[in-house]
Order: sequence, then C-alpha cells, then structure tokens
Amino acid sequence: MRVLSTVKFTVLRMARNYIVLLLLLVIPIILITIFSFILSESVTETGVPYHYQNALTMVLVFQLFAGAIVMYLIDHDLFKENRMRIYTLPFNQRMYAFSIMICGAGYSILLGVLLMIYTQFVLGIIWANWAWMIYIISLMAILSIIVCLIFTFSVKKYKIAERLSELYGVGFVVLAGLFFPMPENIFFDFFGTYGNPLTLSIMSINEMGQSNTGKAWFQANILLVAIVLLFIVMLNLGRRRKL
Amino acid sequence: MKVTRNERVNNMTIASMQGVIKRYGSHVVLDYIDLDIQEGEIIGLLGPNGAGKTTLIQTLTGMIPFDRGKIELFGNSKNPFSNQNKERIGLVTQEITIFEELTAKENLQFFAGVYGLKRQEKKKRVEEALEFVGLADKGNKVPARFSGGMKRRLNIACALTHRPRFLIMDEPTVGIDPQSRNYILEAVKKLRENGTTILYTTHYMEEVQAIASSVTIMDQGQIIKNGTVEELIQTVQHEEKVRIDVTDPDSVPVNSLEKIAGVKKAIVAGSQIIIISTFGSGNLDRIITLVKEHAGVLGIQADKPNLEDVFLTLTGKQLRDKEEE
Amino acid sequence: MTIFRFALKRVFGNTTNLIFLTIFPIACIFLPKGEGWPFLPYGYQYFGILILFIGIRLATIILEDRGKGVVKRLAVAPVSHFQYLSQNLLAYSVILILQCAIVVYGGILFGQELYQPSRLFLLFVSFCFASLAIALAWISFYRRKDTSFLLYMSLIFLIVVLGGLIIPIEIFPDLLKRIAVIFPTYWLAEGLNWIVFGENILDFLLINSVLWLYTIVCIIIGSTRKIY
Repeated sequence: MRVLSTVKFTVLRMARNYIVLLLLLVIPIILITIFSFILSESVTETGVPYHYQNALTMVLVFQLFAGAIVMYLIDHDLFKENRMRIYTLPFNQRMYAFSIMICGAGYSILLGVLLMIYTQFVLGIIWANWAWMIYIISLMAILSIIVCLIFTFSVKKYKIAERLSELYGVGFVVLAGLFFPMPENIFFDFFGTYGNPLTLSIMSINEMGQSNTGKAWFQANILLVAIVLLFIVMLNLGRRRKL
Repeated sequence: MKVTRNERVNNMTIASMQGVIKRYGSHVVLDYIDLDIQEGEIIGLLGPNGAGKTTLIQTLTGMIPFDRGKIELFGNSKNPFSNQNKERIGLVTQEITIFEELTAKENLQFFAGVYGLKRQEKKKRVEEALEFVGLADKGNKVPARFSGGMKRRLNIACALTHRPRFLIMDEPTVGIDPQSRNYILEAVKKLRENGTTILYTTHYMEEVQAIASSVTIMDQGQIIKNGTVEELIQTVQHEEKVRIDVTDPDSVPVNSLEKIAGVKKAIVAGSQIIIISTFGSGNLDRIITLVKEHAGVLGIQADKPNLEDVFLTLTGKQLRDKEEE
Repeated sequence: MTIFRFALKRVFGNTTNLIFLTIFPIACIFLPKGEGWPFLPYGYQYFGILILFIGIRLATIILEDRGKGVVKRLAVAPVSHFQYLSQNLLAYSVILILQCAIVVYGGILFGQELYQPSRLFLLFVSFCFASLAIALAWISFYRRKDTSFLLYMSLIFLIVVLGGLIIPIEIFPDLLKRIAVIFPTYWLAEGLNWIVFGENILDFLLINSVLWLYTIVCIIIGSTRKIY
C-alpha cells in the first residue's frame, strides 16, 4: 500500500491551499459571526434563536462546496500536468484517486467541526447532538465530493466541471429557498425538500434535535442511498476516463 | 550521487520496442518503431517538435496503449509495465510536474515514498538528490518561489530519489537559461558515469552531441537513422556545406541553385542560403555568381558537418525553426 | 477604437461570460416578489449582487492581460495606458448598461411593478460604474487572476450582507447600521428603497453621487498601477 505514503502530502497540499481554507473556513466564520450579530434577537416560529438555525444552515451550506479541492487535485494529478509522472509511478492510480477523496472528505469534515467549535465556544450556539451533526456533515462532504468528481469525469473541460460544481452548490442553496421563496409546484417542492441534500441535512438535524430519531435517520438514509448510487456512477465514469 | 547496483548485468537490453505502431484515428503517430536500449547507454532521441518523441515515451512507459508491435522492459515482455519494472524507471517529464504546494524536500519525499523507500533511506536519498541538482539549500522552500531553471532541476530530482536503472528524460532543458542547461547536462554525464541507462529526447542537437553514446533520429513518427554520433556524421562526410549570408534571401532562386552540378540541396534559412554539395564538386564559383545576380553577398562560411546536417540531409528540414534558436 | 472593439469581442467570445451576461440578468426579471421585504421583486434586489460579479469578471480580463504580458506589448505600441484602460472600461460599461436596460425594461414588459423604472435604471447604471471601478481597484493589487477573483467573491458575500441587500438594514444592531454606510451596497439598497418610497429627489441625487464618488476614487486607485 504505497499509496499510504502519499496521504501526508495530499493533506499538506490541501491545508496549504489557502483559497480553500478561506472559502470553507474563514468566510463562513465571518458570515456566521455577522449573521449572529444581526439576528441575535430574533427567534424562529418554534422559539429557537434564529442565529442558531442560521449557523446550522451555514455549516452545511459550505459542505456543498467540499468537492472543489478534491476535483482540483484529481484533475491536476491524474488528467493534467502531473498525469505523465503519476502514471509511471509504481502504485495503483485508482487507489491514489481514492486516497485523495478520503483526504478531501476528512479535511472538509474537519473544517465543518472547526466551525461547530467556533460557533459553540465563541458565539454560544449549543449543538445538541455533536455526533449526529458530524455524521450529517460527513454525508454532505462525501456527497459533494462524489458529485464534483462525476462532473470532472463526465466533461472534458475542467473549467466546465468547476462551473457545474458551483452550480450544484449555489443551485441547491437557491432551491432550498434560502435566497427567495421558490414557486409552488411538484418540481420545486421536491428539490426544496427530499430532493435537496441541504434541506435533507437541515431537516435531519432538526428532527434529531427534537428527538424524532426515526425521521432523522430516514432523511439521513436518503443521503446515504444517494451517495451509494452516485458512487457507482462515479466509478463507471472514472473507468471511462481510463482512471 | 552514488549508484551501487547489484542487479546490473552488462550488455543487458533494458528496453526494446519491436514494430510498435500507434495511431490516433487515421493519423499514425508512431510508425513501426524498432528500438533497443542497452544497459549503460545514453540514447539521444533527436527529432523536431511533433516527431513523436513524447508519444514514444508514453508508449514505452505504458501510459498509453499501442496498436501493434511488442515492448519489452528489463527482459519482461509479458507484463512490461508491472510495478516491479516501474520501480526501475525514472521519468523526467517535459512539463514541470512537481507539486507547487509542497516544498522541494516534500516533493522528493513524496516520490521516494511511492517508490517504497524506508524512512532512513528516504531521508538520505532526498538529501542526495537535492545535492545532486544543486538545490541543497532550497530544500525547505516551495517551488512557487523558484526560477524556471530551479524548477526544472527539481523536476529532474523527483525522478532520481529511487536511483532508477533506466532514466527517461523528455526534453528536460526546454525553456531554461544556459547556466541551468549546463548544470543539467553535467548531471546527466554524472549519471552516465554511474551506469544509469538514459533515453534523452531533445530537439537540441548540441545536447545530444555532448552527452549521447548513440543517437536515434525521428521524424514524422518514424525512426530514420540510428548510430553513434561519429557514425551518423560520417554518413554526411561526403558532403560540403556552405552558408552564404545575403541581403535578400527570398530573391535567390533556390531551384536554379539546385541545378548547378554537384549541388544536392539548397535551402533558405533566415538571412542565409545553405547549400549542400557533393564533396569536391568545385562548384563554389558558380554558386556565388548565381547568388550575386539576385542579392548582395555579405559573407560566406563553410561548415564541418554536425548532427544538424545529418538531420537536414535525411529529412530536408532543420531540427528547429530559426526563431527557436 | 480597436481596443474597445476587441474588448467586446473577447467578452462575447467566452461561453461562460456569455451565459453570465445573458442568462442571469434575464433570470432576474422572473424572480418573485417578496412578502413584506424586499419591496421590489427579488430579482431587482439581487441584481446588484450580479452587477458586482459581472464587474469583477470583466475587470479580470485586464488582469489576464497584465499576467500574460499583453499590456507590456501595448505599452510599446502607440497606445497610451489611458487609452487602453478607458477603451476597455467603456466596452465593459456598455455591456453592463445593456444588462441594466434588459433587466429594467424587460421587467416592465413582464409586468413587474417597478414604481419608477427610469430612475431604477439610472440607479443600476450608477452602481454598475461603481462596481466596475471597485473591481478595477481590486485587481490592481493582484497578479493572479484566480486568487483575485475568489477573494473578491468572498468580499462580495460580506458587503452584500453588511450593506443590507440580503437582510433589511432595519434589523441590524446600531453599530452595524452605522458601519453599513461605508459599503456601496448600502447605497444601492437605499436607492432601491427610494425607488419605492422616495419623494425628495435630492435624496436620490445624494445616493447616486455617493456611488459616483466610489467610482471616481476607485478608478483613480485602479489606474495608478500601470502594468508591469
């Protein structure tokens, strides 16, 4: 398992990508902080402080962009500049790609947990169930990575894959109705609820917070099934790209 | 960098390509390539841009499949691209393939790790490789701060940590300053002294002339000549080459020059007319008279043949465009 | 006007730009009305955010020129830096103004209630110039296109929140209300409110003047860094 020797360096490369760190950690911290100042006195219909709901949404929204660094590294190492060198190395290239995925997921989950720590200890937001929150963050991160890789494998131009991944992130935020209310019809209802990973995650965490364990698991399992199905699609597309 | 090798066998064929054909659609990129590389050799693979050098390397390393023929590496033709064989090969890519986010040392540690070197050995080899390419004091710096030449040298070092038996260098000196180029050529010579087998592709014939023990000339996907530098030059020794600097090269009728007895080829290269004639043809007077009728003659010089001439004679074109020089 | 012409050609030659420049503004026309807030339909409240994105996307072309050394080549051509910059900016302004026209007058055709469409158009035009100038000033600090673009996107997130484009400024704490004044997005939000409720034309002029002040200051900052 020579691929294991590369893990340290993949993590270093991710950690040194300051743009990713800025977009997935610094900006959320600033936005959550500003929102918590602005919304400190408002409460939701269920009586929960509004900035709690906002922090939860923010932590999950940024997981929609977790795949960016993974798709960049995989494209760079296996399809672009480094391709020739990587393919002459005595290790399994697929395992290498897989290791980048796992590192990316781990890194993104870590950033999500850091956001939780910050919001709890600095902004006083109480995360009722840390384990469940981390589980949902993990599902979101893995799903985003798989979706981003599907884009990378299915289009030839990396720039287009990048734009599609942005569309995935921003699109589901919009469909969740966070910017403006969506029209009421079957399509928007579906993609605003069970067809939207962001809404599913938020609902699942809220249900768990209200001790509706069954509903929480059901929503999380939808994400899990989506991950399994899309993982198979990703593998097939990866094979087609001769990975 | 010292190389001690127990597995070395004299005169062993390190790599062999037999009748290899590679097509992209209807375009034949490698056209029936036959190539044998013996242990300890430095083969200079010479050819203009687009000759198929990089495709040859990609095929030889198993990166891309080929359509017909046979490739054998280290005596293994059944599974030539096995990990065991890959461990013995080092590749210096034409593009700079290093990780910009990692320091020079970390870059080398990455590759050393992939080649399975253990902790102590890895540390030692990384230091050696850095020393070898003259970056010992830059180990903890990220390549983003390096000059083009330094990046090229790091690019080479990445292929050396595991002490490959067979090193493939794909145009390792493209776009760098003369100082770094000399450094790289000296490094290649040192590797040769240590017994590393090297396939060195370039379109700079001076480099091949300086380091290669034998030369393979490629053009349009075909190997058109093999041999040592001396052997190849001898093939054009029966020719004379005259360069005439003229005021208006385009007005000189090249066709008329080629009709003069003894003239084998006449071409315009920048402000010069290059004329290749049969040895001892005694046609210089007539050539100059004809040239003078159409343009002012600024200077005349007779050249000793070199690899450039071999290439010119074989293909009718120059290795590099004038602007590239 | 060669630079002007080719600036337009380059912008429209890129598919992503073309999508950015046509689909998104048209989509703005069709966004629904808010309940209570915002007072104008969502598309018009958020069009300001789009203008900021388009501003940096267009200005990045100048940064690309700087990175590739095209500007150096122009520096030795009989073209002044002023001509280069002004013709580029003129081309980008034309594009942005066209978009404002599409959004405002397209909205009228679609039947959106825009209260004072011509003044809304003027407000968007003023904000377009401010956006372009800010983007020009921003890129003058950078060499790498991607870094500059991504950091500016992050900045946009912040100033649209703090300027009151996404959340009504009325619910801000006092300190943030006072800080909001320094962001151009605040003045756009104020302008949008004026379009719905405003009566005193002097208020509207003040809002536009502030946006123009941003434009002038940022153009000066952005044009001082020449090329190399």
